[in-house]
Amino acid sequence: MAVRVQFENNNEVGAFSKLTNSYCLVAIGGSENFYSVFEAELAETIPVIHASLAGCRIIGRMCVGNKNGLLVPNTTTDDELQHLRNSLPDKVKVQRVEERLSALGNVIACNDYVALVHPDLDKETEEILADVLQVEVFRQTVASNVLVGSYCSLSNRGGLVHPRTSIQDQDELSSLLQVPLVAGTINRGSEVVGAGMVVNDWCAFCGLDTTSTEISVIESVFKLNEATPAAITSEMRSSLIESMS
Amino acid sequence: MVLYNFKKIAVVPTAKDFVDITLSKTQRKTPTVVHKQYKISRIRQFYMRKVKFTQQNFHDRLSQIIQEFPKLDDIHPFYADLMNVLYDKDHFKLALGQLNTARHLVDNVSKDYVRLLKFGDSLYRCKTLKRAALGRMATIMKRQAPNLQYLEHVRQHLARLPSIDPYTRTILITGFPNVGKSSFVNKITRADVEVQPYAFTTKSLYVGHTDYKYLRWQVIDTPGILDHPLEERNVIEMQAVTALAHLRACVLYFVDLSEQCGHTIEEQVQLYESIKPLFANKPLLVVLSKSDVLKLSELPADRREAFKPFQQEGVPLIEMSSLTEEGVMQVKTEACEALLAFRVDQKLRTKKVEGVLNRLHVALPAQRDGKARPPCIPEKVAEKKLKMDGCATGRKLEKDIEEELGDEYTLDLKKNFDIRDEWKYDKIPEMWNGHNIQDFIDPEILEKLEKLEQEEELRIQSGLYAIPKMEMDETMKEIRELARQIRDRKSIIRQESQVKKQSTKPVTPRTTTARARERSVGRLREEFENLGVDMSETDKANFTQTRGRARSLNRPLLKRARSGADDDEEPRSRSTSKGRSLSLAPTKRLRMDSEGRARSVSKPPRDEMGIKDVVMKKKLKNVAHKAIAKKVGKTGLKGEADRFIGTKKPMHLFSGKRGMGKTDRR
Repeated sequence: MAVRVQFENNNEVGAFSKLTNSYCLVAIGGSENFYSVFEAELAETIPVIHASLAGCRIIGRMCVGNKNGLLVPNTTTDDELQHLRNSLPDKVKVQRVEERLSALGNVIACNDYVALVHPDLDKETEEILADVLQVEVFRQTVASNVLVGSYCSLSNRGGLVHPRTSIQDQDELSSLLQVPLVAGTINRGSEVVGAGMVVNDWCAFCGLDTTSTEISVIESVFKLNEATPAAITSEMRSSLIESMS
Repeated sequence: MVLYNFKKIAVVPTAKDFVDITLSKTQRKTPTVVHKQYKISRIRQFYMRKVKFTQQNFHDRLSQIIQEFPKLDDIHPFYADLMNVLYDKDHFKLALGQLNTARHLVDNVSKDYVRLLKFGDSLYRCKTLKRAALGRMATIMKRQAPNLQYLEHVRQHLARLPSIDPYTRTILITGFPNVGKSSFVNKITRADVEVQPYAFTTKSLYVGHTDYKYLRWQVIDTPGILDHPLEERNVIEMQAVTALAHLRACVLYFVDLSEQCGHTIEEQVQLYESIKPLFANKPLLVVLSKSDVLKLSELPADRREAFKPFQQEGVPLIEMSSLTEEGVMQVKTEACEALLAFRVDQKLRTKKVEGVLNRLHVALPAQRDGKARPPCIPEKVAEKKLKMDGCATGRKLEKDIEEELGDEYTLDLKKNFDIRDEWKYDKIPEMWNGHNIQDFIDPEILEKLEKLEQEEELRIQSGLYAIPKMEMDETMKEIRELARQIRDRKSIIRQESQVKKQSTKPVTPRTTTARARERSVGRLREEFENLGVDMSETDKANFTQTRGRARSLNRPLLKRARSGADDDEEPRSRSTSKGRSLSLAPTKRLRMDSEGRARSVSKPPRDEMGIKDVVMKKKLKNVAHKAIAKKVGKTGLKGEADRFIGTKKPMHLFSGKRGMGKTDRR
């Protein structure tokens, strides 16, 4: 199920939250409205944790994680790290990495098995990534954008990539990731799909501006309801053409 | 996104208001005082400014009106035609054109009069010219009164037009009056169009919106149209015709099978035939409404013949009843699907779609290796889904807590820690003794702590911490007792000395005069004599043997004057017996003048006032010195005279104008 949500009047919910299959991090905001949307949806199944990284609220762009672990940038303070360790389940490993490209969420996109990373990422970071998150790592670009984390959104069941990704690239990425992929937008035409939404295997949250066609694409490709990715090419084809052009 | 927003056109004032507004603005925004003794160039400039300013205001306002009204040639033909139908294109263009002319005229008047003003040779002439200029401008505007009034009507009507987007997905509903068009619109949208059982209830276009297949659809309800030539159609019908002609929409042609509308089926089919050109290149559906009254199947076969033209053209017929809602959704679905297919088909022919083709593709993975990558969904999710099924969870959310507590609420980050409850609120400092706590975190801290505790237990058991009982012997006790007594005594001495130090002597203020002596030998003698006692033989009496009192200058003047006048000798002789020579009363008479004592006998200095003798003076000096030293020492001054003045020249005393000799308020 996909839920529309807004963080303090901002639609880039992917910047202010991090959702995986075993935990969910949410930025500390002025009120609890944003947190409570996640809490209502997830709190019974996985911990929903208030977090900040290096005193910033854009945690979704700063860290990267999956059900196995969480990587945080070296600017994370000791207290924040301790808070995360206290809050996360024991089986989730938390690791601080010394990486020049410290916005890890922007340069790494991953699900529980595969990760796409920025071509210039450190060798060491790549190793830590493979160890802590237990993923295969591929250096890739999405629609010739190096910020793979910003321009794609992945789960174990599907993925949404930058709307200008060519069909060839989509097929290639799909084979690497071993999940079906669709090029699409979020938040009424925004290209930064990674920042506009968060998704795990059973749930997605996207910005309040997201149109119903965008939501329906998301729900089909991530298999959040009964629909399958094939629906995009069949039933939804005409509405998609109608709304996009 | 609204393409055409006619709601933002500014109000068009009436001619009278127009002139009033502009003239009062001139009055408010230009200088108003001029004198004839001013230089003539200044006077000319003063009036030229007024003329130019008025012209500019007329010009700006007129330009704004001309600018804001839509240009019929620039807007979508649907709106252009609609405005033609509603407001008459020629009239509209003429009104705007005349305003444009008026603007030019005003400009010319101003130009002419400014030129004339250059030759104005007195204030009066200049003023007259200005008056004439403004008057002519006002007259020009007054002539525009009917145009302005018309434009104001147009503006008000335009603002109330429904905001129809001529480019979006549109479903257009048409047919004879009273066939159930508005009822259908009310069923599928929330437009809330008025429905009444008489013809022409709907007199203008109405817009509603509905959703289908994730898209927003615009539904336009048109007034009913009758079957007569275009030239005979009235404004109400023409609105419908305009919409039909210019909007690329799916048309629903409503036919009332029951003929309750007052027109036979044949007439309705006839109307369809006559307005058929308007349906060209548009998806079309014929809706047979009011099926709750009469269904197509219930119609006699000969009447059914009337629908032949539809069948020949392949136009689908759908039965529907707004009352029972039977077929309403089917009509909507069919209409939407037809239009969607039509629009997609058109779009596919353009190049636009090529840009989004990649987004219509689902990239399915080619098998890379045999590894299974199953999704990881906790079992609880499925359970929750089953349990939920629409009903909200009873969980108390953070938001609810925040709402409940209001301003008291603070975010409790530690509440949901995944650790033992008793550890959750442990206070751990970030830094301790200059060390970062986090650097010393030890995963085996608990085992180590346990080990240490066991060791400690052993130590306690072995008696390491047992405090040996001290036995006091006699001498020790004695020493303790003595020490206590010494301490007590010391404190008593301290308290006593404090009490002693406090002076019990009365304090005389330095400014008071010495008290006059009330009891004296002289007074006694006098009072007794008055009572009739013989006091003549009392020179040697005991009560006369008193010590004379030294006289100070502070004795009340009156008494001294008296004693100087008539009793001069007597007190002296009385007091000489044992009096001290040191303080003899003045031998001289006090010189008195009208203001009292003459100045020659000056007051002693203030520090000698009321002081008996030199010893006392010395003593007092000493006391004063100590007192001053104490005061001065406390505040760190150099001496008594070391006075600190915070502000030498306080603002309130030194500021302000000083002209006209108004300095007394300082």
